[in-house]
Amino acid sequence: MRIRDLIKMGLRNLARRKTRTILTVLGVVIGSLSIIIMVSIGQGMQQNFDKQIKELGSLTIITVRDRGYIYDEDGNYSGSVEQELNDDLVKRLKEIEHVRAVTPVLNKSVRLLTGKYEGWAYITAMDSEAFDDFDFPGLTMGEYPNQEDNSGIVFGANAVEFYDTGSRGWNWTPVDVDLEKSKIILKFQDYPTNERKKEFSVPLKNIAKMEETNGIYDWNTYMDLEYFKEIYLKYCNTLNLEDRKRAIKTLDDYTEIRLNVDNIDNVEDVQDKIKEMGFQTESDMQYLSPMIEASNTLQMVLLALGTVAMVVSAISIANTMVMSIYERTKEIGIMKVLGCVIKDIRKLFLFEAGMIGFIGGIVGNILGFIAAWLINKYGQPLFKALMSGNYMYDMTNTTFAVIPFYLPFAAIGLSVLVGVLSGYFPARRATKIRTIEAMKSEG
Amino acid sequence: MSNKAENVIELKNVKKIYRMGKERICAVDNVSFTIKKGEFCCLYGVSGSGKSTLLNLMAGIEKVTSGQIIIKGRHIHKMSERALAKFRQNNLGFVFQSYNLLNSMTALENVELPLVFKRVPTRKRKKMARNILTKVGLGSRLKHKPKEMSGGQQQRVGIARAFVSNPSIVFADEPTGNLDSKTSKEVMDLIKDMAKANNLTIVMVTHDRRLAEYADKIIHIFDGKVEKIEEFTKQAEELPPEETQEIATDVS
Repeated sequence: MRIRDLIKMGLRNLARRKTRTILTVLGVVIGSLSIIIMVSIGQGMQQNFDKQIKELGSLTIITVRDRGYIYDEDGNYSGSVEQELNDDLVKRLKEIEHVRAVTPVLNKSVRLLTGKYEGWAYITAMDSEAFDDFDFPGLTMGEYPNQEDNSGIVFGANAVEFYDTGSRGWNWTPVDVDLEKSKIILKFQDYPTNERKKEFSVPLKNIAKMEETNGIYDWNTYMDLEYFKEIYLKYCNTLNLEDRKRAIKTLDDYTEIRLNVDNIDNVEDVQDKIKEMGFQTESDMQYLSPMIEASNTLQMVLLALGTVAMVVSAISIANTMVMSIYERTKEIGIMKVLGCVIKDIRKLFLFEAGMIGFIGGIVGNILGFIAAWLINKYGQPLFKALMSGNYMYDMTNTTFAVIPFYLPFAAIGLSVLVGVLSGYFPARRATKIRTIEAMKSEG
Repeated sequence: MSNKAENVIELKNVKKIYRMGKERICAVDNVSFTIKKGEFCCLYGVSGSGKSTLLNLMAGIEKVTSGQIIIKGRHIHKMSERALAKFRQNNLGFVFQSYNLLNSMTALENVELPLVFKRVPTRKRKKMARNILTKVGLGSRLKHKPKEMSGGQQQRVGIARAFVSNPSIVFADEPTGNLDSKTSKEVMDLIKDMAKANNLTIVMVTHDRRLAEYADKIIHIFDGKVEKIEEFTKQAEELPPEETQEIATDVS
């Protein structure tokens, strides 16, 4: 038989028993649909995850802040506590297992001046060795501070903007300042300068700028902690005695301590250990993990549903084919007598079974795309409900289900495979019917 | 030996034994005969005599227990299923008592079927099927399904199907068994005409003595054995029309 005739005959046979074919196809549709939804939600979660990593920085980072927020078991904010962050704590944190790097961090706001333009920067001073360990983004100019020269300053992509503050008050249109060529000076503004002393300022050299990351790095300015302390102490010397004491003291209490953990899976363990030491911690992971859990749960449910549906549809395809063979016994006999080779009979039945799978896969795909669209449009409440309490993560523009390009093909392929496999034994049975008995049978 | 080439079908000591539980039933017992090319041969016998079994053996639908069946020089009993299928495609045609048409298909499609298995291209086989259906007088019923046709018309479709692929042998198993006398005659004439026109060999099974009169050779089967073989000269073929009418009346 030619392939074309085989296809034509197979389709005709399916069309002859419309109701049964449709019901059988329906099973495959449900199976492939749940598999498509499952994979697409998984894929959507993965994409969100990647996006989050970019936006929030690395997910392996834990932060201990000088003001720790306390959450109850449901993840609701219940108060805050002052935490003393000092070198001793840094040392203790370094000893925790799975901790890759620890750095104390000091934050201060500074003024930046160049000519008649003025800007502000929020300095994050940390160990220069830690820049590497915390997977900082690449630079578009300059270099990160290092052992030999720690005097550099690194601006995030959007960290600093200069404004014309000169004549006639403020002009809030940012001015383009060439960071490489301009002379920029840095001034602290925490306390008023002692009148008898010259106002302290540092001319910036070794300016570096980061690539845009669409994340937290874009808005911060980084310096080496040692160098920062050095210039801050110089600044302190220009202050009144009272202020000087207070200012120097701020250098001993860190604003935060950052830890980088070797693996995402260990983040929560390490957080628990720090909590045992009596400190509250924060990590982006803790916002994301309910989301991951929710998607995992949903995926498991869908996987179970998909598997069951696929198994059931395999059985129902087999059943349909067996029935069909019983009904068509005589037909098979006639075909054999008229010179149809056994191989063609087997092919015919396998084609019919595969076709049921194929149609199911196609319909499943169409519904899958519709379902993905619906999930993205209306799925938010569902996901919010699934994620217990402490999400702080903004879901307004999130896609929950993403259908990767291979998925439609894979789903159809799987459906066809299920069809062909479940049609295999019935098809073999069809070929084993003896012609003489087939001819004698009713039908 | 000289006329051996002419022998299209040759049976040598063919035996077929069925096992029914512990009992063994000898349906065909040591049968030997030959059929020549272009011959209209009738296997005649009462029901249960084993004539149908014999036909099935010759068609390769059933396997012999022992003995040899040689058709066109090929040993049918030794052939694989696949080879048999190919052999049937190219050499054999079948006409059945109950027509055995596929009800889901139109007359045209039914006739096309053997050609489909033979991988004849669509356009060519449609033409062949249409031609032969016109020849059997069903040119106007190509698109009708079997259920929409009378018994005689269905059998014509069956005959068209048997002859469409130009076989050299057509097996007919009680081809008029389900038909009334008038249609029986028409059908028999049709088979005979088509066979003669193409010099085909016909092997027909019947229990009706007078239908057997159409044959050039009647092989009487009784209890699975060949009782006797009658051969007719050319004149004997021509039966008076009145007699045929009477025969048919008995059939039902």
